[in-house]
Amino acid sequence: MNKNTILYGAILIFGIAAPFIFPAFKVQLSILCILIILAITWNVQGGEMGYNTFGNILFYGLGMYLCASVQVGMFFPLGEWTEGGGEKTFVHTPAQFFQGFAVGLAVAAVVPAIIAGLIGYSILGLRGHYFAICTLGLGVAAGEISGGIEIIGAGQGFTTPPFPNVDRLEARGEFFYFCSFIVLVFTFLAVKAIYSTRFKLVLNAIRDNEDKAEAMGIQTMKYKIIGWMISAFFCGLAGGIMGGLVGYIDSTDVAFDGREMGVFMVLMAILGGKGTLWGPVIGATLFHIFKEGFWTFFLGWQYVALGVLIVVIVIYFPEGIMGWLREKYPERFGEVVDEADRKAQVTLK
Amino acid sequence: MKIKNIIITFVSAIAILFSTSVVSFAKVVGDKIILGAAISLTGKYSSNGVHTQNGYNMAVDRINEMGGVKVGGKTYKFDIIYYDDESNPKRAAQLAERLISQDGVEFMLGPYSSGLTKAIAPVTEKYGVPMVEANGASRSLFTKGYKYLFAVLAPANLYLDVAIETAVALNGGKGVRIAQAFEQDAFSQDVRLGILDAAERTGSKIIIDDKLPKELNDMAATLAKVKAVKPDVLVVSGHTKGALTAIRQIAEMKVDVPMLAMTHCDAAKLSKQHGKNSQYALCASQWHKTLTYKDDFFKDGMTYAADFEKLFGYDPPYQSAESSAALLVFKDAFERANTFDQKKVRDALAATNMQTFYGNIKFAEGGQNVDKPMVLFQVMCDDAGKCENKVVAPLKWASAELIHPIPKWSER
Repeated sequence: MNKNTILYGAILIFGIAAPFIFPAFKVQLSILCILIILAITWNVQGGEMGYNTFGNILFYGLGMYLCASVQVGMFFPLGEWTEGGGEKTFVHTPAQFFQGFAVGLAVAAVVPAIIAGLIGYSILGLRGHYFAICTLGLGVAAGEISGGIEIIGAGQGFTTPPFPNVDRLEARGEFFYFCSFIVLVFTFLAVKAIYSTRFKLVLNAIRDNEDKAEAMGIQTMKYKIIGWMISAFFCGLAGGIMGGLVGYIDSTDVAFDGREMGVFMVLMAILGGKGTLWGPVIGATLFHIFKEGFWTFFLGWQYVALGVLIVVIVIYFPEGIMGWLREKYPERFGEVVDEADRKAQVTLK
Repeated sequence: MKIKNIIITFVSAIAILFSTSVVSFAKVVGDKIILGAAISLTGKYSSNGVHTQNGYNMAVDRINEMGGVKVGGKTYKFDIIYYDDESNPKRAAQLAERLISQDGVEFMLGPYSSGLTKAIAPVTEKYGVPMVEANGASRSLFTKGYKYLFAVLAPANLYLDVAIETAVALNGGKGVRIAQAFEQDAFSQDVRLGILDAAERTGSKIIIDDKLPKELNDMAATLAKVKAVKPDVLVVSGHTKGALTAIRQIAEMKVDVPMLAMTHCDAAKLSKQHGKNSQYALCASQWHKTLTYKDDFFKDGMTYAADFEKLFGYDPPYQSAESSAALLVFKDAFERANTFDQKKVRDALAATNMQTFYGNIKFAEGGQNVDKPMVLFQVMCDDAGKCENKVVAPLKWASAELIHPIPKWSER
């Protein structure tokens, strides 16, 4: 058994045991899983491909609305469910709830991926700041547009189906925790598998010099679109679960929450170290713990504390935690350092 | 090795974090009844969040000073754990979960706004935690069959339909032409539903029906249309920012309209911030200090207003008054239940029938307060430019007569 297997095994066991070790923290743990998924998927664009997107929140929000709409729409008229802010009450039986949620999640994953493919062709032609601004606009526009669509509750918001009463109270927390944990494992393994293929090298080539990559005969657009579709797939799943977990979807504050989630996913990936597999995972975990801590102990000053954290990241860890570790202990990352040569270079200066 | 130290520091920091948050504040510690509340201290509802918090705090202090709550022959004092929900429903739901499962809170006070209450209610309901809320007026909150939700206020759809009915009456019973603009949020959209109902009932026509974005700073497009089509009534609702934006731009663009009906005028301190520009605005309110309700703790509205001003330095908007009333309801229910059993407290809450300085409180099946009508006041200014909110409807409490139609800007 090599070291990696032990590490993965330990994490898996911890992941499965976590809700039982910290029963009061199930919601926070579920949100942590969602945040890691978002950071990992953002890293596909922002880290590996060099396309700083603020638009992934679009897929997250879409997934959220789609999952909830399908879950309701499969059994009840959706228009009546949301009418007048959800005045009428329909109750899902447990079977309906879980079937609806499963189908909803499938739709929440597939549709955003298709949409990413459709809009990707035009948007991924933009580069650098233009791409960032365009995707920022996408998220904002989606929030405003969805806030005007009556069938999904418009400005009144959309109350997702309440969790059915199955044997005991705590089941809801565990259900959503394991949903998000399984999707997280799935996302991580999928991205890890992808990163071990040529695909990652192509994305890196696009990041380092897109024109040269094209000149080498790589169909860059194709790869960029596929990369974005992969992100959209997992973002949609994350959104779908988050919608059920929160229980109430608001167009700009919960679904297309570019101001918070949209920015956080970038921040987490950068904190951990973009362009690495583990960076976003570490970044999201630390970020979530810091954030919850600030919100508890610095009430009223939490944003100041968060601001200080960002400043510290930018000044002391510009390459993120993984980048910093790599610089400190390059041999751990499989980089061979010729000590004599390094010293010679240092003394030359 | 350095990295070892860093890891140890991290791990211990996390451990401390977990252990300190795990220490649970059981709902009754010693002689304290601990209530939980997620309040918007930052974000778009922060000004109203503070009004709410001030209302809660003032009532807690007052009840504690005057002997606290007597349950089972023992005297208890109120205490509140606050968290900042950042005006975000996602955060609010999370905090409710946290208050209940981590902090062990067994009784909750509501947040500010309908949207956030909608996010929190499923959580309190799931755990069977009684919540008395004072700031979630959306009608849909009361049709969901929630058993543990009690609202001391009248539902949002009743806010402005009186204004429409008044306009129709002044028009000789004939329907009026209504222009309306509402923020895209749960509360304002519910006010809109009320207007739609009133319009249908009175045979009025809605000629402009605009939606305004959240973080409302500009509604010039709507006002330009209003200028062009000249409706009889202009209805605007969008929390504090909506009221401020509407008044600022109506004055800037000199929009003439016979009746201007709004919400949140007092929370926005319109008469102070915009002085004469806000004159004649007609506002829906859950409460006004001149109403003649009474109780033992705050005496009456005028005394409440004076005490509040002494403490916080401004005239209390209704958001503060209703928040204070929520604590009175809790105290009353605890004493009647004479236990801290959540089910029994819930039943006692459901049987509430009392008068407070804020109004009569009696809950319907759905949890809304059915014993307290809305009031309408109009901003009126004297020649020196000092403006005041005067109640104009219902007639029982009216201290001034409605000025209608609003004089044109060219004649002011």
